[in-house]
Amino acid sequence: MVRASSVEIRKVNKFYGPFHALKDIDMSIEPGKVTCLIGPSGSGKSTLLRCVNFLEEYNSGEILIDGELIGYETAGGKKMSSRRLREMRRTIGMVFQQFNLWPHMTALQNVAEGLIRVRGMAKAEAETRAADALEKVGLGDRMGNHPSRLSGGQQQRVAIARAIAMEPRLMLFDEPTSALDPELVGEVLTVMKALAAEGMTMVVVTHEMGFAAHVADQVAFMEQGELVAVDAPANILHHPEDPRIQSFLRTYHERNSF
Amino acid sequence: MNDLLAHYGPFLLRGFGMTVFCWLLGTAGGMVLGLAIALVQRYSIAPVRWVLRAYIEAIRGTPFLAQLFLLYYGGPMFGLRLDPVPAGLLGLSVYSSPYFAEIFRSAFGSVPIGQIEAARAIGMSEFSIVRRILLPLGLVSALPAMVNFSIVLTKETVILSIITVPELMYQVQRMSAETFRYVEANLALALFFWGFVELISRLGRRFETRITKHLIERT
Amino acid sequence: MFSWTTFWESFIPLLWAARFTVLVSGLGIALGLVIGALICAAALSPMKALRLFAALWVSFLRGVPLLVQLLLIYFLLPVIGIDVPALVAAVVTVAICASAYISEIWRGAINALPRGQTEAAKAIGMAPLAQWTRIILPQAVTMSLPALINELILLVKASSLVSVVGIMEITRASQAQAATTFRPLEVYLAAACIYLVINLCLAGVGRWLEQRMAV
Repeated sequence: MVRASSVEIRKVNKFYGPFHALKDIDMSIEPGKVTCLIGPSGSGKSTLLRCVNFLEEYNSGEILIDGELIGYETAGGKKMSSRRLREMRRTIGMVFQQFNLWPHMTALQNVAEGLIRVRGMAKAEAETRAADALEKVGLGDRMGNHPSRLSGGQQQRVAIARAIAMEPRLMLFDEPTSALDPELVGEVLTVMKALAAEGMTMVVVTHEMGFAAHVADQVAFMEQGELVAVDAPANILHHPEDPRIQSFLRTYHERNSF
Repeated sequence: MNDLLAHYGPFLLRGFGMTVFCWLLGTAGGMVLGLAIALVQRYSIAPVRWVLRAYIEAIRGTPFLAQLFLLYYGGPMFGLRLDPVPAGLLGLSVYSSPYFAEIFRSAFGSVPIGQIEAARAIGMSEFSIVRRILLPLGLVSALPAMVNFSIVLTKETVILSIITVPELMYQVQRMSAETFRYVEANLALALFFWGFVELISRLGRRFETRITKHLIERT
Repeated sequence: MFSWTTFWESFIPLLWAARFTVLVSGLGIALGLVIGALICAAALSPMKALRLFAALWVSFLRGVPLLVQLLLIYFLLPVIGIDVPALVAAVVTVAICASAYISEIWRGAINALPRGQTEAAKAIGMAPLAQWTRIILPQAVTMSLPALINELILLVKASSLVSVVGIMEITRASQAQAATTFRPLEVYLAAACIYLVINLCLAGVGRWLEQRMAV
């Protein structure tokens, strides 16, 4: 079992110029729980996720990881030092839609890089650890390959290995399967399910309603920068009360039936 | 003819050596300066960026010859008294630096932001990101333009003869003035440069494909 | 001490000399456009000999430094019985050198046109000449305008080299001015300023053209 973090999001607002991208978002995520963020594109779910590790700066409100404010020294105060931010980010893994593997490194080097540069491990030790992480995502036989020689599903699993090798207490997934061919989605979701079963706190922006229904502890629905509802998966996905959620799910089901 | 070659051969050879020396060192200097400019532009505050932008526009907007005169003849007035060769090397480095800076800037811009964010997300420091992600990826995509511009620079070295740097052009002009064979000397020089530039272009292309293939396995 | 008086006073002779800079680069690009068009036509022609000639022309002129070309033509013309003033030799050299780059610019623009353009013209039964004058050239010329402005900027800078054969353009005039005032720093700075202003104006025109074309 991993040591898992809690996340507390309070009254978070985010503006791009005049555009109000996140409106007073409140949400709490308990340690070891899986939260899925769903909603139409442009609803702000990726922005919210990226605020959690401060890749995106929120303008007001606070986001607390294990009770500790990220990004700012005090709520509404000045930004925290980049060194402190880096330390907090070490415990937060992130997986991107476009994988973002480094093309000039092999799978093994991609995973070992953070251990060497950030955790200061010796190369040999880092590579042993990286190999373990790759085994865990089922890529023990692909360690020497460059990303260009891997399928999309394999690349995304390397990206997950890169994140878990750092021993995070919280994992953020930004539409991890959206860039994948349909037949490759399953292998990535399997790895994510295994991670959830180990007790990792996970926040997942996704369009995979099946994953949300079966794996999530809570599902949050966002639209136009607003958090419309956070509830148990069944209450959101099967008996939604809000008409916005109903219409979103209707469109979703129409698109996925033929 | 044989007498001429026997007499002037060593000078021509030395001149060619000087040409290559100035070219390599000047280009290297320009690359280092250009890389520094591109990195500072990327990581500094707005006023510093404006100053660098002005530097780039000023150098690109004026002829190399005017820059050389300013440096070589005007330099002593602000305490920079240089011999022809160092003046030429510095001139070539300064002249080429904004072009290299622009090459690096656009190459850094072509590194996908996601790959840098991935490094930030695992807590890598900006310095590590530059060294491990931005430079390796940026330099590879900058390589074709770097090779291209370096080849262009071989031709600029002849301008150094005007401030009496004893490179090939200078030696050939000295020889032609002493023998009155202006046409033959300049024709030979032209043919020589033609061949030389063609040769290094080919070598450059080969070097480029080899190194790109080695550094990144792209499909 | 930096002498502002010398700096400002230098502008008078240098600006007067700038007419030769403008003349050499302006005539250079004008003649270069004509010769460049011919070379480009040769490069695109079905005759192998013409294509080879164009390829050699471009490769030679792009491989040999302009200064060497200049001295070669300057010394060569009298030998083959053409006795012309240095200014003519200078303009001819700049034009010939420019023609190599310009023909490549035009070839690039023509090749960049989608094949569908000529196919559509052929499909409605347009004659080959009309295909060129009505469809291909108008588009290629507009497309190449920013690159041609860029070439003109390069020529303004390259025209400083004709000072070597005694043309009293900006660079030569500043040498003379520096020799009489003994203040090279101020004089060459003034010269640099004039070049910079000319080229910034040209670059502005180039950007304006590019924006207009982007619509």
